[in-house]
Amino acid sequence: MSEKLYKIISKVMKIPIESIIDTMGPKDVENWTSFNGYVLLHELETDYEVKFTIDEVLDVTTIADIKRHLKNKGIVFD
Amino acid sequence: MNSEENLSYYINESQKIKNKELKNKTKIAILSSYTHNGLKEIMDVKCVENNILATIYEGAYNQFSQEILDQKSNLYKFQPNILFLLLDSRHIFEDLYHFPDSKSISQKKSFVKERILEIKHLVDFFRKQSNSMIVVSNLNIPSDSSYGISEQKIKYNLSEMIQEFNSELISSYKNTDNVAILNFNSFISKFGENNVFDPKQYFFGNIQINLTYLPNFGNELMKFVISFLGLGKKCLILDLDNTLWGGIVGEDGYDGIKLGPEPPGNAFMEFQKTILSLHHRGIILAINSKNNFDDAMKVIKNHPHMILNEKYFSSIKINWNDKVSNINQIITELNIGLDSVVFLDDDQINQELVRTMLPEVLVPKLPKDPSMFSKFLQDIIQFSNLKITEEDKQRGKMYAQQKMRNELENTTTDLTTFLKKLELKISIKEIDSFSLPRVSQLILKTNQFNLTTKRYQESEIEKMINDENYFVGYVNVKDKFGDNGITGVFIIKKESKKIWNLDTFLLSCRIMGRDIEKAVFTYIVNKAKYHNIEQIKSKFIPTQKNKPIENFLPNCNFKKEDDEWTYMIKSELKLPEYLKLEK
Repeated sequence: MSEKLYKIISKVMKIPIESIIDTMGPKDVENWTSFNGYVLLHELETDYEVKFTIDEVLDVTTIADIKRHLKNKGIVFD
Repeated sequence: MNSEENLSYYINESQKIKNKELKNKTKIAILSSYTHNGLKEIMDVKCVENNILATIYEGAYNQFSQEILDQKSNLYKFQPNILFLLLDSRHIFEDLYHFPDSKSISQKKSFVKERILEIKHLVDFFRKQSNSMIVVSNLNIPSDSSYGISEQKIKYNLSEMIQEFNSELISSYKNTDNVAILNFNSFISKFGENNVFDPKQYFFGNIQINLTYLPNFGNELMKFVISFLGLGKKCLILDLDNTLWGGIVGEDGYDGIKLGPEPPGNAFMEFQKTILSLHHRGIILAINSKNNFDDAMKVIKNHPHMILNEKYFSSIKINWNDKVSNINQIITELNIGLDSVVFLDDDQINQELVRTMLPEVLVPKLPKDPSMFSKFLQDIIQFSNLKITEEDKQRGKMYAQQKMRNELENTTTDLTTFLKKLELKISIKEIDSFSLPRVSQLILKTNQFNLTTKRYQESEIEKMINDENYFVGYVNVKDKFGDNGITGVFIIKKESKKIWNLDTFLLSCRIMGRDIEKAVFTYIVNKAKYHNIEQIKSKFIPTQKNKPIENFLPNCNFKKEDDEWTYMIKSELKLPEYLKLEK
């Protein structure tokens, strides 16, 4: 399931899939602005059919955070 | 179900646009009382989809008043062609939004009045600084009230306040040409407040339009852009079987097709009604169907539930030819460009064939379910019109008359005899406020018989009316089949006491090929002679589409020097006997 997640991150943040690592956040990705970060979560909500709470939205600072919140909603990653 | 792409699609696509060469260019400014991140990228892409290269300026968040009232602001430096001023009721109504009963009725009345005056002041201030179009959104009326069901018992409640604001905004600018109102409240109703307004997005970043629905909102803005640039479609070409009625007439028979008050025939009737309403707005209708002519015509002429009778169609192609050849024949008959055409056919192979062979034609993907046809047609943004002129309302009828003219032409062997039989009557008048909208529309839309293809906005033409150095004339043509309406325009710039410049000269494709240009030019020369003018100068600016007018200047005996053409006025000109100039 990581492949699907990485494809969405790659598309929104305009970074190659191979470069994505769990510790990555706004400091490492030029396009990871506050708005684009929200766009990413919004697209994940649509594609995984889940909803993030506003606390979860504000909590996300890395890819690992996104994975953690998705896992809490029952999404399984390899 | 939302058929729009995700926002990230638009963000990615917008980055591929740089350096694209497109036929139409425009500058759009967006000022707003709320965050509209992503709207620029959506507009970039949607403009390109409509052959428009847009440069878009976004004002800083909630700085719309400062931007408009400061003549040195970036907004004025940018010089937009269209300004969108997007407002929301939370911002405008401040605390009254949540506590509508916190003030007395008279205080609330004066509050609403002040808010309206503020917005009107902004609009009027902008209009004084700029000739551009300004589109202001009205305000959304929230479905929930802090007073619950008792809201309706409160005197001058929030809904009533917002309704008054909206009504006042609309009535203030009903007759103002370069101000338009975007119905934001209808947009919210259409997609549903619970869908469009996402509290999480609002509290996260004052995002008033859920990112999922932002592309739909972009469509609302595009309607104004398309219409402003005169790029609206003129003609709807329709298939018959499973498009205008359910089933296949050749197989199911006259009595077996689905068309009538029972489902699913009622969905096809509704679709036909929506098409007819487009026709009443000036869209030309044509048929392109693979069928036995007699089978299909029997339905069109006699079926009791057929809304679209034969008289509404300006061209009918019912045969076994391919759809592309038929479309080519239709546009030749109607004298319109392929890029004016929308083609609707239920068959996906036909859709793809036309998309591939005639890429200028818009071929929307008709839904599979006929109950969605009517709604689908209403959502085609390319049929948008900022204003419907009298000519628009009559256009369908005029093209039907054209069908009769063509039949006369086919039975007449030489052109002069045909023109004599037409009994042409031409009247030429100076533009006034009544003719201004139609004259402006012709200047923005005419491509083929257009000498210079200069596009002037209505406000610019209005200035010419009041400028003694210009003469703007329009041409009305009648013949024995009916009135063609205002179908020609010319603009003369008076360069000196001896020289006039023919800045603009155009005729609608509807009246091309009838020597009307000779009558108009005769009028101009004789008028010039009367004013002791010695020379008329002009230029031919070639485009991809104006080949039909390329010989106009030499045919009128203009002589070319460098890129300028000059006509030396010696004596008055006389008209051929088949042309009558009405005084």
